[in-house]
Amino acid sequence: MMNDDYLWDASGTPDPEIQRLESLLADFRQADRALVLPVEMPAAPRGILGLLLRMPSLPRLAAAAAILLALGGTLFFSLRPKHAQDTGPAWDVTNLQGAPQIGTTTIAANQAPGKLHVGQTLVTNGDSRASLSQADLGEIRIDPNSRVRLVQTDPNRKRIQLEVGTIHAAIWAPPGTFVVDTPSAVAIDLGCAYTLQVAPDGSGTLRTTLGWVGFHLNGRDSFIPAGAMCSTRPELGPGIPYFEDSTLAFREAIAQFDSSSQDSPARSAALNTILSEARAQDALSLWHLLSRTIGPERAQVYIRFAALVPPPKGVTRGGILNLDQSMLDLWWNSLGLGEISTWRFWEQSASPQPSPNTQQLKLKKQSFLQDAR
Amino acid sequence: MAALPELRSTRSGPPAVNPLHESGGPDDALVRAAQRGDRAAFGLLYARYSRMVHGLLLARVPFSDVADLVQDVFLQALPRLSTLREVSRFPGWLASIARNRAADFHRRVKPNEEFDEASASAQTEQIASSTRHSSHSRAEAHAVLDAIRSLPDAYREPLILRLVEGMTGPEIAARTGLTHGSVRVNLHRGMSQLREILGRKTSPPAGGAL
Repeated sequence: MMNDDYLWDASGTPDPEIQRLESLLADFRQADRALVLPVEMPAAPRGILGLLLRMPSLPRLAAAAAILLALGGTLFFSLRPKHAQDTGPAWDVTNLQGAPQIGTTTIAANQAPGKLHVGQTLVTNGDSRASLSQADLGEIRIDPNSRVRLVQTDPNRKRIQLEVGTIHAAIWAPPGTFVVDTPSAVAIDLGCAYTLQVAPDGSGTLRTTLGWVGFHLNGRDSFIPAGAMCSTRPELGPGIPYFEDSTLAFREAIAQFDSSSQDSPARSAALNTILSEARAQDALSLWHLLSRTIGPERAQVYIRFAALVPPPKGVTRGGILNLDQSMLDLWWNSLGLGEISTWRFWEQSASPQPSPNTQQLKLKKQSFLQDAR
Repeated sequence: MAALPELRSTRSGPPAVNPLHESGGPDDALVRAAQRGDRAAFGLLYARYSRMVHGLLLARVPFSDVADLVQDVFLQALPRLSTLREVSRFPGWLASIARNRAADFHRRVKPNEEFDEASASAQTEQIASSTRHSSHSRAEAHAVLDAIRSLPDAYREPLILRLVEGMTGPEIAARTGLTHGSVRVNLHRGMSQLREILGRKTSPPAGGAL
């Protein structure tokens, strides 16, 4: 049986195996090395992060303007029965503007932060904004007209549900820890800062400013790196992600493709535009298109993708056309947009079976759609 | 404890603020002082956090590149420090810069090639110059480090900080901004997975007797 005390703080009875590993690995330990600073300490730069977090809606930012802070998290919602709890791990809620509420309790300004417990919902009206934070996690800014419910807060999994509205997340928890559910997709932090919006009809938009985010629903995955964005629709899930600096024709064609049925002329025309307008940087979108197309369409995508970004060693045309996952992963990693193993680990650790809450998710989507009519 | 960093400071003596007289965590005063341009304060932050940064980088990049990247991380953090609104978030903020620097390293070098410590170290002979261990032990050390690196982020980071950098669980929590509970759980689970991996590598191959 493992001696946990010794592993924790080297107290108690020494564990021989741990001691052996410590001795074995000692050569990799940091050696003393001085830090040479510039002669003049830098002047305070423009507060990019502060500006970002203070803005009610995130402006379009180029990847080069990515902010220093932490890894974004993917938001991943898991629905659970709404049983408000007054005990257990709670997140801090700070009033930034107006009168945000938890249930019937208003979080007042200039006072100690309120507490959001699992099962409780934070609501902001048209004049209110709030900040949600937790020691292991990071910070989430809640815009006006938003509803956020805390679903789970465990050491390795933090989950909230964004029912409607906009949040701006700056996460420093390890990748895969932070997850947000929306009515039309699940977002998993893979190390980033991002903005996520959910409309009353359940559709959403995610824009990443640092790192990357995974968006997931019913086996459909979209990965959104810094400088890119992705839309999501109820029942359909996440669309094709694209870089914000792609051409207008490209972006419009992506939207058309996502909303067109399989054999429609509009879809075919949209695909042709996507392929003709694509730059090398748009390999992000082309990679996702591979799994969203079939037969001759997929072959067209492969040809264009390979012309812009040659497949790395180990990737074959036949394998890609058959959607060989290992080859798709190799090609993805070669794009330098994020290490896909982080996502695969999350996939394996997430529940493979629909939870009872999936039905609640469907009912909630229906409710959103009815409200929108 | 690491030696104080070299500083061509325009002032002498310790930081102007006394941590005992300011509210917040023990390093909050240092962070505030560094935000105001106090070089000595930033140097102390380097002394306190460089081991954590070293460990996080070692979890992701070849050993031969870690030392330089540690410097990069702090030099990247320096001009951005004033944008850190809540100084108590400094540990997690710095950890995220380290992780992003590691990701950036891979994007700039050979993003589609995985590395393993054995081949990387063989090129630099950095570990080979150590007189502490035999070549067999060095090979085993490389293999163990690779095994730790194969674990999920949440496990490999605390394990490297504990087993390589020699930090205790409470120190890991303080330096990464995580709670004691999270670190303890991840150390425990990570160690279990590591034992399993190492056990598979040393187990004799299965085979039936005739």
